[in-house]
Amino acid sequence: MKPDNKVKWTRMDNASKIFPATTNNRDTKVFRFACELYDEVDPEILQKALDITLDGFPLFKSVLRRGFFWYYFESSDLLPTVEIESEPVCAALYIKEKRNLLFRLFYFNNRINLEVFHALTDGAGVIWFMETLVYHYMTIKYKDIFPKDIAKINYKASISQKMSDSFEKNYRKGSSAFKKPQIPNIKAYQMRGTRVDENRTKLIEGAMSAKAVLDLAHEYETTLTIFLTSLFFYSIYKDMPSKMRKKPVVLSVPINLRQYFESFTARNFFSTMNVSYDFENKSAELSDIITSITESFKEGLSMENLNKHVAELMSLEKNPIARIIPLTLKDYTLKVANAIADRGVTSSISNIGRIVMPPEFAAYIHQFSICVSARRPQIVLCSYGDRLVISFTSPFLDTDVQRIFFQFLTNRGIDVEITTNL
Amino acid sequence: MQYCNHCKVKLKNQKEQCPLCGNKLAPLEDDLEKKEIFPIIPSYLKSHLTLRILILISIILIVFSFSIYAIFPATLNWPLLLTFGLISIWLDLIFLVQKRFHIPKKIVWQVAILSLLSIFWDWKIGWIGWSITYVIPILCLVAMIIMYSIAIIMKLSPRDYITYVFIDALFGIIPIIFILFNLVDVIYPSIISIAISVIFLAAIFILQGKSIISELDKRMHM
Repeated sequence: MKPDNKVKWTRMDNASKIFPATTNNRDTKVFRFACELYDEVDPEILQKALDITLDGFPLFKSVLRRGFFWYYFESSDLLPTVEIESEPVCAALYIKEKRNLLFRLFYFNNRINLEVFHALTDGAGVIWFMETLVYHYMTIKYKDIFPKDIAKINYKASISQKMSDSFEKNYRKGSSAFKKPQIPNIKAYQMRGTRVDENRTKLIEGAMSAKAVLDLAHEYETTLTIFLTSLFFYSIYKDMPSKMRKKPVVLSVPINLRQYFESFTARNFFSTMNVSYDFENKSAELSDIITSITESFKEGLSMENLNKHVAELMSLEKNPIARIIPLTLKDYTLKVANAIADRGVTSSISNIGRIVMPPEFAAYIHQFSICVSARRPQIVLCSYGDRLVISFTSPFLDTDVQRIFFQFLTNRGIDVEITTNL
Repeated sequence: MQYCNHCKVKLKNQKEQCPLCGNKLAPLEDDLEKKEIFPIIPSYLKSHLTLRILILISIILIVFSFSIYAIFPATLNWPLLLTFGLISIWLDLIFLVQKRFHIPKKIVWQVAILSLLSIFWDWKIGWIGWSITYVIPILCLVAMIIMYSIAIIMKLSPRDYITYVFIDALFGIIPIIFILFNLVDVIYPSIISIAISVIFLAAIFILQGKSIISELDKRMHM
């Protein structure tokens, strides 16, 4: 008898459930985390680094499978290999019935590109994976330069902590349990455009000094995230046909729940809040947008609202009727619910935050950037040292919103370096 | 680095036009900086052409046969049979392609589809009973043997195929109904199918009982 009679499997956490149900060719729910080095990437060393890193992240070795009622992760003995980049940005990773790993690791010239299916983990989880990977890559490649006792990698948590489902853990039945997630009944403004062939994703990255942008944000007496969110609102407004102005612009902003609840999970643990601005009745001045967005952020990030979000996400799993519906039907239900919720959202902006690596590596790493498959033009940003990279991904060929956004920054004296894939 | 005067941005990868405003850019003189950041990925769109041609041919054949039938009527409505035949082939093909990543599952689906199609055909050409006498028992039997062989050849672990062998073995017992209700004259294919299925089921329970239970536990978790 073969020894694998007892195969390890893991339930899927709540924020993840939506991803396999709603993934399609137009929106693959894959995100890419890129690390650009000053030197060319050595694939053999990268492979070694990957093998070591995977030991600490068991969930990355699993495949996604369909049960009768729910999706689940099943551990697999597939061995991931590092490959030269050969697919479009954020190409599909989860293909029904095909049992493959839910991430891929590409390299191309100076870049290490890690692509992950969103059901596996969120931005914070993938940063953690990437930090570990790059740490091992650096210490193997430059083992002569870095002394043995160079800043040890910060493991932050045990493997069981990384594997834990933080939704389950932080869910208090009393809070507002069994409350159905409220689907807003507003129709937000939707951006339109000409699609890129083969549903490929158009990526435009703008790299700039984090300090310069922060100084600019301080001029408006606000934070970096609120400033850039407001600037995105402003850019969308400038591009918007005037007859559409009666519809509000709504941006969805993901929230990393690890900051608010005690959690060290490497799996998904995030929620989103919708921030809206009504350009028909309110001023289109950037400073006025900032004032309004600041208020919305304060409200959205209150503990009360966050607890409500966790409860809403849990309600699907705890709902006895939802539990006994076969997965195929659940998929359709989630698809419909998602499409309805989608009408209430114009776009999204996500600040993944600062990437921290040991200071000794600064001479070897140029920048980090992160982007996500997109149904509409949207933004993800992150910074490393002083280098802030704002990535726009879009299914459209049109680049007006991007142009307005970056031109605003360059007109205020910020140097921007643009990179595109198409 | 190239620079767009209109947008006031530097461009990291060499372009003919500014990716933001679309204005023409001055080409770079030195090739030193020309290190691509993204590879050029070729288009994948050609492969579907064969499929489209095949669909077109099928439609042409159907239209053609009905036209001939209309001009030269015959006692047998053969264009209808041709249409059903083509539909059967396409139906089967769709399922083959859809479940292409999971061979045991594909086989079980093939058994189900081919069984239903055979009953349909048998009924359509005046119920002789060959579908339930021969086709269904033999299909179940062959499927079980093929699945087991594939599992051995491809070194599949029991959890990857056990559920499907189990389902197919359950199918294989269905011919017991045909015998009990006297639906078939020739009983030996049904008897063989039932016997082998029972043996397979017993083997699964005795040798792989734990696998089946843990598989069910995993797949049916609520």
